[in-house]
Parts: sequence; C-alpha cells; structure tokens
Amino acid sequence: MARDLAIDLGTANTLVYMKGRGIVLNEPSVIAVNRKSGEVLATGHEAWDMIGRTPSYIVAVRPLRGGAITDFDITERMIRLLLQRVGVSRFTRPKVVICVPSAITEVERRAVTDATRRAGASDAQLIEQPMAAAIGANLPIDEPVGNMIIDIGGGTSETAVISLGGVVALEAVRVGSFDIDATIQSYVRREHGVAIGERTAEEIKIHIGSAEPSAQDQSADIRGRDLVSGLPKTVRLTAEEVRFAIEEPVAAIVLSVKRCLSKAPPELAQDFISRGIYLVGGGGMLRGLADRISRETSVPVLMSSQPLEAVVLGAGHCIENYQSLRGMFMGSRR
Amino acid sequence: MIALGILPMIFSLCAAICGVVLLVLIFLDFRKTRIDDGISAFHRHIDALSPQARRDSIVRNDNDSNRGQYR
Repeated sequence: MARDLAIDLGTANTLVYMKGRGIVLNEPSVIAVNRKSGEVLATGHEAWDMIGRTPSYIVAVRPLRGGAITDFDITERMIRLLLQRVGVSRFTRPKVVICVPSAITEVERRAVTDATRRAGASDAQLIEQPMAAAIGANLPIDEPVGNMIIDIGGGTSETAVISLGGVVALEAVRVGSFDIDATIQSYVRREHGVAIGERTAEEIKIHIGSAEPSAQDQSADIRGRDLVSGLPKTVRLTAEEVRFAIEEPVAAIVLSVKRCLSKAPPELAQDFISRGIYLVGGGGMLRGLADRISRETSVPVLMSSQPLEAVVLGAGHCIENYQSLRGMFMGSRR
Repeated sequence: MIALGILPMIFSLCAAICGVVLLVLIFLDFRKTRIDDGISAFHRHIDALSPQARRDSIVRNDNDSNRGQYR
C-alpha cells in the first residue's frame, strides 16, 4: 500500500513529505540529461554539482522557472524519479498534494497535475504555497486573527494574509532568489568585465549579499572569466556593491509586501503590528531582508524556525488530514 | 350516493395533504442536515488546523530535521 505524499516542487529545491513518516527527501530541483540518448543521468545534488560543468552532450537543467514548468517532459521524468526514490512503484499509486505558487495559470496548474498523474500518482491535488507555508510555520490560522506570511522562493515571492483557515489577501510576484543571483551575475559582467556562473552568483549572495547595511558587511574575491582576454580573473566585490546590484529584485519583493498590506482588511491590519509578519523560504534568508521589510512597512518581521521546510510541512499536514482539509486544495475552491 | 362519492374524495384530499406535509418535513430535515454538514465540515477544517492537530506532523519533523534524518 503506497503512503500518500506531499511535494514542494520548488524552482530551487524539491522536498517530499511521506504520510506518517515526515520529510523523506530534500534536494535541488535539477536534472541532468544526455542530449543524445535522452537518458536521465542524475537528479538532485548530483545533478546540481554538474551545472555549468558538463560536456556539450549533457545538459543539467532546472525544469521549473518562476514556479512554473518550463519543460513538461523533463518535469514528469523528475517527478517519476522522485516517486521511485521514495518507494512508489507501478502497483502502488499514492495520492499526492503538490505545493504551487498561487499565481500560476490554469494551463500551468494542469501541467503540474498531469505530470504528477503520469508519473504514477492516483490523485494529484494542488495547494497554494503561502497557505501551506502558514500551516507549516505553525501560525494560528485556525483563529479569527490576521496572520501574514511572506514566502520567498527561487522563482516567486508570495505574501498572504490568512485568517480562520482561509486566504484573505494575496499578492504574488515572479521574482525570487534566482533573480537576485541573475542581477549579481549581470552586475559583475557589466562593472568588472568578468563572467561568473549561477552557482558563483549564489555563493556571493549567501556570503556577502544583504538587503540592508550592517556591521558584518564584508568583501570577497570572486573568480570568473575575463570577457576581454578570456582568461581566469579574480576581482574584489564589496557587500555594498552586491546590495546595489540586487536592489531591483529586493525592491520588487518589498513592494509586493506593501501591496498585500494595503489589500488587507483594517480589522486584520492591527493584528500584524502586534503579531508581526512571518518570513519563510530560502530567499527570505537573505541577510537584512527582514529588517528591510520591517523598516519599509513599520511592521515587525520574524523569521520562521524552519524557513526551507515550512511549505512541505504544511502540505504534509494536509495529507495527514486529507478529508478534513480537502477545502484547502485549489480545485475544490475554484 | 352523493355522500358515498364525497367520502373517497375527502380521504384522497387528506392523503394528498399528508403527503405534501411529509414531503415538506423531509425537505426541511434534509436542509437542516445540509446546514449541519456545512457547520461540522467547517469545524473539522478549523480543528484540523489547530496547533494540537499540527503538533504530530510538524513538531515531529522539527525534531527530525534538527537531527538531519532526512538528508
């Protein structure tokens, strides 16, 4: 008998929750494929190590961009492999709940459910990421009080106001931590004449990236390829430069939070001041981002204790209480 | 003759009224059940989101992830 599953199919990472067991898999949403034969060569961490370092006949790709499937076939194969790895066989077909960005279109929604069903699920239900994140972050969403949550993922940033088990206000933008990495890449290319890969850009963001100035601001030596000579080159990058480089996506995220605040009913708005806004998702771990949002909105911002796992834990709770929480699923409400 | 003809009509009318009343009662009871269903479903939904209900699936994982079990 197959155990039902919850999957956080993120642009950056994929997490799988198995009913009765908890999180059983957490790895990058990357798949490496042989272009000639079409064979899958690696997934997850192994494929992530290959990004930008493969011979021409191997391609290591992220099949999701902005929370949406960009390559249906590869996504289906990735989901099939994920299901196999957690013990799903041809004869055991589990029910699967998948977390998706709230802003996805009807076509994208159908692409996700079709890919999951074809990969071996008996039933595929979708749940909005901010709702799942609020459940997973253990916010008191069963009470008639305003709970605000910001989920900053690899490709999307979503802000939601939740009360009495339902979404009251929602704002989503297709800007995430990958856009922050991309702005670092283009800044280094433009200002220093050096090409760097997306993994290097991510490392720069993690080590010296910040959304607000702080006493811990540092600089780092970056290695890349000189655009003029084509030779390896090292340049020094300061935290201030990185802050300047990533200003555009950071400002877009902050603006979407402000828009969501303005949509919230006044009765709930006063709850945010006393209870604060919760921040989840890998992108939310950018240094100083909570302070920046707090400064611009005048509302305290708190980091969830499990920012990377909150979404899948929330979806996992829905799979544990499938009948009672059926109303949470996207198809059941629309 | 006339009395004999009226009697079945009265009985038929009574039967029809009883039938209508029965149908109305069944409809009202069904409607009440549906309202009750809505209330109980909402309560089930809210109860399933309570911190107590979430303790099992979330706190257990909190401990698991602290120990790095799923990685």
